[in-house]
Amino acid sequence: METATARPWPDLLRAGLVHALNLGLPLLFVVVPILSFVAVSFWTLEEGQILLIPTLANYRAFFTEGSYLAVYLQTIALSLQVTAVNLALATAIALFIFRRTPRVRFLILMSFMLPLFMSYIIKIYSIRSILGQRGLLNEAMMALGLIDQPIEALLFSRTAIFIALAVLYLPYAILPIYLALDRIPANYLAAAADLGATPGQMLRDVVLPLGRPGMAAGAVFTFILTFGDFVTPQMVGGIQGFTFGRIVFSQFGLALNWPLGSALAVILLATTLLAVALAGLLLRREHVR
Amino acid sequence: MRHKAPLIDALLGLIAGVGLVALYAPLLATAAISFFQVVRVRGALGFAPFSLDPYAALLANGEILAALATSLVVAAVASIAALGLALMFAFYFVSARRGLGLAMQTMVFLPFLLPPIITGLSLLIAFREIDLGRGLVTIIIAHIVFIVPVVYRTVLVRLQLLGSSLTEASLDLGASRVQTLRYVILPQMRPALISGVLLAFAISFDETLITLFVAGSQTTLPIRLWAMMRVGFVPEINALATLILLFTAVITFAIGMLQRAGERA
Amino acid sequence: MQPLLHLENISKRYGAVRVLEGIDITVAGNEFLTILGPSGSGKTTILRIIGGFESIDGGRLMFEGRDLAAVPINRRPFNTVFQDYALFHHMTVAENVGYGLKVRGRPRAEIATRVAEVMETVGLAAFGGRYPAQLSGGQRQRVALARAIICEPRLILLDEPLSALDVELRAQMQRFLKSLQRRLGIAFVFITHDQEEAIALSDRIIVVNGGRIEQEGAPEQLYRRPHTPFTAAFLGENNLIAGTLAAVDGPLCAVDTPAGRLAATVDGPAPPTGSAVLVAVRPEHVRLDAAPMPGEGLTADVADVRFLGANVMIELRHAALPGALLKVRRLADGSAAGLVAGQRVGLSWSAGDAALLRAGPAPAAL
Ligand SMILES: Nc1ncnc2c1ncn2[C@@H]1O[C@H](COP(=O)(O)OP(=O)(O)O)[C@@H](O)[C@H]1O
Ligand SMILES: [Mg+2]
Repeated sequence: METATARPWPDLLRAGLVHALNLGLPLLFVVVPILSFVAVSFWTLEEGQILLIPTLANYRAFFTEGSYLAVYLQTIALSLQVTAVNLALATAIALFIFRRTPRVRFLILMSFMLPLFMSYIIKIYSIRSILGQRGLLNEAMMALGLIDQPIEALLFSRTAIFIALAVLYLPYAILPIYLALDRIPANYLAAAADLGATPGQMLRDVVLPLGRPGMAAGAVFTFILTFGDFVTPQMVGGIQGFTFGRIVFSQFGLALNWPLGSALAVILLATTLLAVALAGLLLRREHVR
Repeated sequence: MRHKAPLIDALLGLIAGVGLVALYAPLLATAAISFFQVVRVRGALGFAPFSLDPYAALLANGEILAALATSLVVAAVASIAALGLALMFAFYFVSARRGLGLAMQTMVFLPFLLPPIITGLSLLIAFREIDLGRGLVTIIIAHIVFIVPVVYRTVLVRLQLLGSSLTEASLDLGASRVQTLRYVILPQMRPALISGVLLAFAISFDETLITLFVAGSQTTLPIRLWAMMRVGFVPEINALATLILLFTAVITFAIGMLQRAGERA
Repeated sequence: MQPLLHLENISKRYGAVRVLEGIDITVAGNEFLTILGPSGSGKTTILRIIGGFESIDGGRLMFEGRDLAAVPINRRPFNTVFQDYALFHHMTVAENVGYGLKVRGRPRAEIATRVAEVMETVGLAAFGGRYPAQLSGGQRQRVALARAIICEPRLILLDEPLSALDVELRAQMQRFLKSLQRRLGIAFVFITHDQEEAIALSDRIIVVNGGRIEQEGAPEQLYRRPHTPFTAAFLGENNLIAGTLAAVDGPLCAVDTPAGRLAATVDGPAPPTGSAVLVAVRPEHVRLDAAPMPGEGLTADVADVRFLGANVMIELRHAALPGALLKVRRLADGSAAGLVAGQRVGLSWSAGDAALLRAGPAPAAL
């Protein structure tokens, strides 16, 4: 398509249009919005009006005002906990699938992936109806005589958010880990056994090292998604579930402070980018074939 | 040959079992409750006999039905538009200079890679800057931005798999570029196109986090449900949840079949 | 003497498809044994059964008189060189080579010393720190060998290890493999579909076809005295002429063919006269005379003379043998210079160079 020789005008025009559409549209609908939200984080809010006066006040507020920093740290801790637990669970589940015969692997994998396509809001709703102070779990345990008071912790608490996030985002971690395991050449396992490795040694020396990129991807997905989720904490956490994402969202709703909200969102974005970079750094020593 | 390790396998199986229960029990419980409503007799848990009352109530609930209609319209328009854009981007990627293609691709992928909260609020701010009021249009635009990467990815993979030899053969036989596209490329890509659109439709239909930012007073189904749940327990939701779960299961199954068919083709 | 390894009447099915049938193989303690056969004949399956990667449906696998059925892969005293090497790409060369010792819990210092020794043996002393991806095909091959010999197995299994190498490297590796096997004094079970490679390397060759053993023996024996049409056609080139056995005199036989009566030698007991047989003659064993010799050999018309570098291949037609091209190989020393297509010439051979075969199913086109 690209030739240096002189071309007739209609051709040039068409080539120009092609570039304009393919680069212009993403620029307009993706890049410009991101830039503008970063820009807004530096504007000033006075009496409900956004003024185009550059300031760092919004970022200063994060460190000094209210409980932003504390909530931020708590949310990071929560997301890291969910990430750690789900990473362990997902690795075990991916290994379980990996050790089935090829014929049933796809079926089992699909049954773990199906919830991924199920309605997000309905999943939260369902989890809530199971957890809940008057949820099925409490009621069932009471009916069985396991407890005689509903366990308060099960809804509108950090534990409830933790469980809900873990259940909601588990498939996101299973998939990349399984895909990484699936790429291990079958001969590697044969070779390891041939050289005398026990199943445990095979796991330690071949399977887990080669599954590591998938585990890193799964961990990053889980961290980013749980850290940015603001609906789950609200739905199952109530007042207690005040996470960083909810604070950001509320600045665009009730609190109506877009500059502050944008600044907090920039911090949220920076945190997720940091997580990606960290995972990349950890994997940098990996040797790809 | 599998290398036997019964202890490890038992442990892994146990964890996988717990995982499956955790994933499915809530959904199945919701479906069950939609048919056998939970009642409390003197504080104790009990189930009412089988009834379709929640489904009847659902059919009578104008708000939910309106939101459902909105969601279907949004998902249909957005996924068709996304298909057109994704095709355009994919052809651009394989034909333009590598640097330009990569620049385009990076931009296109961003909204899917960033946390939804970031995509949502940046679109909100951009719409505000051009004075575009929040409503059906902003929702559709936001959904297109979010689902184009999905369709693009499916289409591009298939397009690259096709390689250039088919195109070259067609051109060699005297077909024009448009004819080649019409008679050779697009038919070869049909499974990818269909599964891409279905996937996009499903994602759009379900999108919640971004939509919350750009919806304004318009409500899609997830937004309506979100609002209803905040208020409290509504039996219709169980019925609707069951229907949606069934619907997504069917769509997912269809996509899975299509993609397998596409791989074999 | 008890063999090191004995495959007793082994059979193997994949679903309804029989891939091995009545496989009986013994391996002596220090021999270079080659399993030779065309693609799909079951060679890899035999090797994987020995290695423990496949189960068997019938027969026994004995190692020094012990049944190996209950011995898992990682306890068998053999190691494998895989067809694609199966080097762990996430480990360095030294880690790959030392892996067998590591999983046996040997101390680090010992592993390091042994790895250095073995790397020296395969001529890669300086490459321990590299990753497999940073090596050439031939070097990877040597790493795979080093990894297999470090635990001092009694037997090494090699599945077409040279098939991925180019011609020159291949010849070099063949010499290396042979000398390594001599030096280590252990048994090699080697798989190939390349008859020249098999002949060049082996103490003994087992020819397999369609999941059965066709014939086994020393390379020269197989080459000179093939017993089946398959072996005759698969090892080198042969002219195969069908006929009926007319008379037997000790090892000497007379065969009536459409082209006249031909002489051949039978190896072992001869089939009854009147049975359908084949006469197999190597192209290089056929004498070519300008004038036909009456009462000996046959006459044929030159169809084509093909120059093959060091050799000239003369292809001939016989009116009574439709469809069959007879081949005669000559050194390209000018002796065949006068031949032109259409010329009638006489072909003959000494009876000792013609093998009598029982006619079996027609050999696959080769
Ligand atoms: N896992 C398998 N399932 C079904 N058939 C197989 C399998 N592995 C090999 N075969 C079949 O068994 C036969 C022998 O295969 P193989 O031992 O690999 O032959 P070779 O190594 O001589 O080329 C072939 O016909 C092949 O198609
Ligand atoms: Mg093979």
